[in-house]
Amino acid sequence: MINQSPGSEITMPSTPSALTRRKFLQRSSIATAALAAPNVLPSRLFGQSAPSNRITMGLIGAGNIGTAHLDTLLGYKDTVRILGVCDVDRERRETAAERINREYGSNDCRPYADFRELNRRSDIDAILICTPDHWHALNAIDAIRNRKDIYIEKPLTLTIAEGRALVREARKYDRVVQHGTWQRSMKRFHDLVEFVRSGGLGKLEYIECAIGANNRHVGATWQPEPVPEGLDWDMWLGPSPWRPYTFFGCHYNFRFIAANASGQMTNLGAHCLDMGQWALAMDNSGPVEVEGHGDFPTSGLFTTPTRIDVTFRYANGVPMYCRTDLNVSGNNTSRFYGERGWLDIGYSKMSASDPKLLREMQAPNKQVKVPSSKNHYDNFFEAIRTRTRPIADVETAHRTTTVCNIGQIAMALGRKLRWDPVKEEFVGDEMANRLRSRPMRAPWALV
Amino acid sequence: MGPERSVRGSSYLNRTAETTAPWKLCAELEYGGDRTFASTVEQEVVQTPPPEWAKVEAKILATLALPGCTEAGRAFLCKTLALVGSARSVPALAALVRETKTADAARTALEIIPGPEASAALRDALASLGGKAKAGLIGSIAARRDSAARPALAALKDNPAEPAVVRETAARALQCLATS
Repeated sequence: MINQSPGSEITMPSTPSALTRRKFLQRSSIATAALAAPNVLPSRLFGQSAPSNRITMGLIGAGNIGTAHLDTLLGYKDTVRILGVCDVDRERRETAAERINREYGSNDCRPYADFRELNRRSDIDAILICTPDHWHALNAIDAIRNRKDIYIEKPLTLTIAEGRALVREARKYDRVVQHGTWQRSMKRFHDLVEFVRSGGLGKLEYIECAIGANNRHVGATWQPEPVPEGLDWDMWLGPSPWRPYTFFGCHYNFRFIAANASGQMTNLGAHCLDMGQWALAMDNSGPVEVEGHGDFPTSGLFTTPTRIDVTFRYANGVPMYCRTDLNVSGNNTSRFYGERGWLDIGYSKMSASDPKLLREMQAPNKQVKVPSSKNHYDNFFEAIRTRTRPIADVETAHRTTTVCNIGQIAMALGRKLRWDPVKEEFVGDEMANRLRSRPMRAPWALV
Repeated sequence: MGPERSVRGSSYLNRTAETTAPWKLCAELEYGGDRTFASTVEQEVVQTPPPEWAKVEAKILATLALPGCTEAGRAFLCKTLALVGSARSVPALAALVRETKTADAARTALEIIPGPEASAALRDALASLGGKAKAGLIGSIAARRDSAARPALAALKDNPAEPAVVRETAARALQCLATS
């Protein structure tokens, strides 16, 4: 465990050099580059508490995505120890905790129904958050205030106001926040960004992002159903408006319900629009204009658009389009058009108007360099050890999520909007500005 | 179309409001039921230019005042009031925010509607609500950065008779106000 109480480090007066675990982690990250040091140090180095040098983690959300993270994290046995898992669904949290304990051959991992109890554990360094979007900000801010570093699934937050609040808290408490936009840790996207920024495509003309549409139609009406045993429905809803439980309105499908998420605009847009932001060097800014049209279901449980067509325009005049493409299925792509042709990069395939462009893109030694990461988890762990900012830092995450959110607002209003990325407000559209935040259901509050 | 009703004494509505279908149906909205009419209303609201907001605001308020307005209907109408509402909406919302059962819906609009009237309505409701509902109310006050609420929040923070959720939320709200 890295940190015990606000503003303090664990000091070990019984050791000659009063070595703290945080200091050790910082030093060992440098040392391990040259030395194959043992992972577990003798307890005498730390005094009686004998902490491991592993990063201790808690997991909030043990659903589909959370389980995928768990699959990976359990492979980091020398690096990570998961000590707690939280989910409002008893079966999910207990299944996950049992699996973790089975993998570790111990009983150290405990299940939690309330994320606040997990966040308050003083022996946990980092929290991985993969809850429905309406929970992200509150899960994360509570973790940050408990001195946890966090890995948080995309989109960063449900609203623009939540995103700015989260950035503020992360900076105030000096916490590492890695956003789940893992494309930043894939070589092909890194190469693409350096290539575009170096002028490899000539003058950049426009960007096209194609995302899949996977809203399932579940009927024009729905029936409230009894809450399944073991599911804390009130806690699942958390800060989002109350509604009765129904099977299709819970777990994975939350992303198609506007009270809980913003559909594929934020779910898939968070990846491909993030590439546009990165290539345009807009990690601390954003577009200045947005116009969108979406097909919103006029009845039924799902309320986010099934078809998306949004145009973002940046101050340099470059437009970025985000459109539903039924042919791309789950493989979103970001296609960059320039004077020399186009490059189309997705996470499972890539193509170009001319194969030569792909070869040039993958060649080393480009003129413009951007930070690189070979693995999103490793990058997170390294940032924790070195107290540096990760590849998908919280400000970057907030800016990309804001692009998604202003796109969603533009679609909801069906008109062109001007956006001031410095003030983070719409220019001359009071109604749009009113959609930058959402009041929370009691007792939850963004304070 | 049913008879128009004033919203808790607002004569303004009697002059301007209409509650024709699909508006009237919004008061009958049920969770899981058909909501096509609500989508139609929502489109009308978002496409209304600012000079016309007062008219559509009056329609929403008139619908909200219909007898037997459902919980789902109230939540939907308050959400639309958040888009176009003004001080004219505050009397109706002020009455709703003082009741635990309707406070969340009312805050959906009151937290967003600009102006001192909405801030005052939220502050005044502190005396009416308790427990979780009061904590939510404090969150709305903090979201508006209402510095006039500082004394009331300070008193709540230090009041041992209040439950922890209220005291803690009040303490954090005061921090928000101090840094804004």
